[in-house]
Amino acid sequence: MVLFNCRHCDYKWDYQGENEYYATCPRCRYKVRIPEDKAELLRKKRWMWSNANARSGLDTEAKTKLPSKEHPVKLLGIAGIVNRTIEDYQYDKSMLIQILLKLQKDFGWLPMEMLVEVSKQLGISINQAYQVASFYKAFSLSPRGRHLIRVCTGTSCKVRGAPTILEKLQSSLGIDTGEVTTDGRFSLETVNCLGGCALGPMMIIDGEYYGNLKLLSLKRILSKYT
Amino acid sequence: MNELGTPKLVRSPKDLENLREEIKSERKPNKSGISVCVSTGCVALDAPKVKEAFMAELEKQGLRDQVEFKETGCLGFCEQGPRVTIYPEEICYFKVKPEDVPEIISQSIVQKKVLERLLYKDPTTGKRAKKLEDIAFYKYQQRLLLENNAKIDPKNIEDYIALGGYSALARVLFEKTPEEVVEEVKKSKLRGRGGGGFPTALKWETTRNAPGKPKYVIVNCDEGDPGAFMDRSLMEGNPHSVLEGLIIGAYAVGAHEGFVYVREEYPIAVENIGIAIKQAEEYGLLGWGIMGSSFNLRVRVHKGAGAFVSGESSALMTAIEGRVGEPKPKYIHTATKGLWDKPTVLNNVKTWATIPLIILKGADWFKGIGTQDNTGTMIFSLVGKVKNTGLVEVPMGMSLRDLIFKIGGGIRNDKKFKAVQIGGPSGGFIPEEHLDIPVDYDELVRVGSMMGSGGMVVMDEDTCMVDVAKYFVDFLLEESCGKCIPCREGLRVLSNTLGNICAGKGKAEDIQTTEEIAETMKESLLCALGRTAANPVLTSLKYFGEDWEQHIKEKRCKANVCKALIDFYIDPEKCQACQLCLAECPSGAIQGDKDQVHWIDQEKCIKCGTCYEICSFHAVQKLSGEPIPPEPKGIKPNRKLKGEKKNE
Repeated sequence: MVLFNCRHCDYKWDYQGENEYYATCPRCRYKVRIPEDKAELLRKKRWMWSNANARSGLDTEAKTKLPSKEHPVKLLGIAGIVNRTIEDYQYDKSMLIQILLKLQKDFGWLPMEMLVEVSKQLGISINQAYQVASFYKAFSLSPRGRHLIRVCTGTSCKVRGAPTILEKLQSSLGIDTGEVTTDGRFSLETVNCLGGCALGPMMIIDGEYYGNLKLLSLKRILSKYT
Repeated sequence: MNELGTPKLVRSPKDLENLREEIKSERKPNKSGISVCVSTGCVALDAPKVKEAFMAELEKQGLRDQVEFKETGCLGFCEQGPRVTIYPEEICYFKVKPEDVPEIISQSIVQKKVLERLLYKDPTTGKRAKKLEDIAFYKYQQRLLLENNAKIDPKNIEDYIALGGYSALARVLFEKTPEEVVEEVKKSKLRGRGGGGFPTALKWETTRNAPGKPKYVIVNCDEGDPGAFMDRSLMEGNPHSVLEGLIIGAYAVGAHEGFVYVREEYPIAVENIGIAIKQAEEYGLLGWGIMGSSFNLRVRVHKGAGAFVSGESSALMTAIEGRVGEPKPKYIHTATKGLWDKPTVLNNVKTWATIPLIILKGADWFKGIGTQDNTGTMIFSLVGKVKNTGLVEVPMGMSLRDLIFKIGGGIRNDKKFKAVQIGGPSGGFIPEEHLDIPVDYDELVRVGSMMGSGGMVVMDEDTCMVDVAKYFVDFLLEESCGKCIPCREGLRVLSNTLGNICAGKGKAEDIQTTEEIAETMKESLLCALGRTAANPVLTSLKYFGEDWEQHIKEKRCKANVCKALIDFYIDPEKCQACQLCLAECPSGAIQGDKDQVHWIDQEKCIKCGTCYEICSFHAVQKLSGEPIPPEPKGIKPNRKLKGEKKNE
């Protein structure tokens, strides 16, 4: 906020304009000279917001119509969840992947309704949102189990016996890679590399790492998750 | 920090020096300290539990104020984790368990004694090494980038400043013009560490002179390459060095916006770089008017969502734009038309982290390391079947043999070396005859491989080259974005052909088909990842043609890997009838009894290999191309006495 004080009528206001040299008092139309330090602040403020706004493709007028803290419009259900996330990213279109990642993390998977809502609120085509969601491995378009098992199948883990571990998991859970057990307990996925190449074979369950896996220890690890 | 609790703003180089002195004076050099590694590798080996045990024990003994406890980054020796270092003696303990913690504190911290049993034991000589320099794994390394990982808490900017951090930035902003910075980097002959080896200064110069505003700088930490984890380690352990390099680069090319692109699979790296950016902004080292100069830079973190092709420069840029990460034709280089069609500099994490060193110590110092055209050091992740696995930083031009046998300690279980695979899916296999070549960008390309990101997977005689080639083809097939047809369809045909060969259905003309497809792909694809995709297949064919012939003509896999070509057999001499495999066999193919040697019903066997993995007497054997000996039924096991078993 850049506050100005009119020397003519002593009115105080928050200057929102673009001029770096003179600001006009809204009450008496007296021109106030902008000192260098405040001009710097204005430049900084403009720089902080410039690129994000330019890229989002929304002009300031359109943006005020969208719900915000000052003008709350109650959005319910999925629309509300999506709106809160998009707010955090300032309606920036280039943040589409980040927005979807956040939604995926909070919600567990991306239902079709959610993608439609994202495309509507962000002002992009549904096609684009769906293309991104189906291209990247991190997004899931079907519900996941309560616990997510990700087995590393990188080169180092492969050489150290990851395929046997994966097969054992598949046979003991009774599902193929990318599927969910019928009781909704586990879903099984593979990942290219977890960066723990010195400790292969490796897997993560719900963000917890298990390195140097042995076939016989799998049962014990799985029994920890219900 | 001032009385308001806000960090001290650095508004000039002098402020930075004062801050550094202040931090140093607060810290006593002889104060005891403990540092625990909390990067991914050690976390997988229960480092958080060790950390909690230390906290609880220090609290219990009332030493919380006297001992400085630190969580640091990776030292690269992940296999031996969790690692704990005791300061000021710099004793390194490996494979520390939570139960060892009370002993470490009472012995090493209070009485200043060394705990012999937790020190690193050399696998060949059996000697214990107290310090890092005594360990063979570290002795031959030259650690420029990784050295500070163990001394710095990545979540605390003051640790980095105390070690001389951000002084390169101060020098650049106040003593050098952007042209001089580019000139200095050019003099150092630094080449891009991402794998291609393109001269960094040339890229910077192109972007600097390119028309169009704004300009962008990007850190590429999308390490999709399986078998490599040095970018992760650097980002987790020392994010400020990358950030400092990025700011210097942005100043040199005149960019005011930067991006850090990190894989979503590296949660700790994402967290640490986020904290680093926030702290740098609080200290006035990033953002508006850096260090009181007129230079501004804003840096944002973008998370990658798991696509191998996104590591390619133009694909990464489309991913940052919020679209599907597919490569673009590069008739015009990304340095001139990159992100949003504006001039963009994209460099690897290691390249950015090297920049502050060059500025601080000079281009001439940097040129003294490595060979004439390949200066500086390179980080490799030495993994696979070697004794010492982990991150290795060596000067360019070291021979592969030294890397694998001196630093890596040779092959596990003293088996025979077969090949080393460098550069992930873009690189190739290098056989024993080429082990003496110096490792640098040009030599590796000459033998059909490439530097790639520096992943080095060592393979022993138990590895089947056709199978590994098939693994890479399948990997790329799954990751191919599908834009260029020779990549999308060619890889599918390659995968089918190789699958047939592995399944024993190979035909003599398959080798020719494979070569033809590989050559077509090399010439016709848009991105470098696709053009080099055939490297593993081509080098496998070139150096290990024997393996291929055996698979096709003799229907035999010498390394006993290809499932369709092998049979499992239990050696009646060695079987102890312990019933372990009998209980674990998923298809119930193993028969026998408590007092009966087990045998495998070959018709039921699904060749999953479970029995082979779990047998503790090595009684299960793999046979390939040989007739299976008749299965003995109903004989008693040749049990050894209990004492003998233990000695084994």
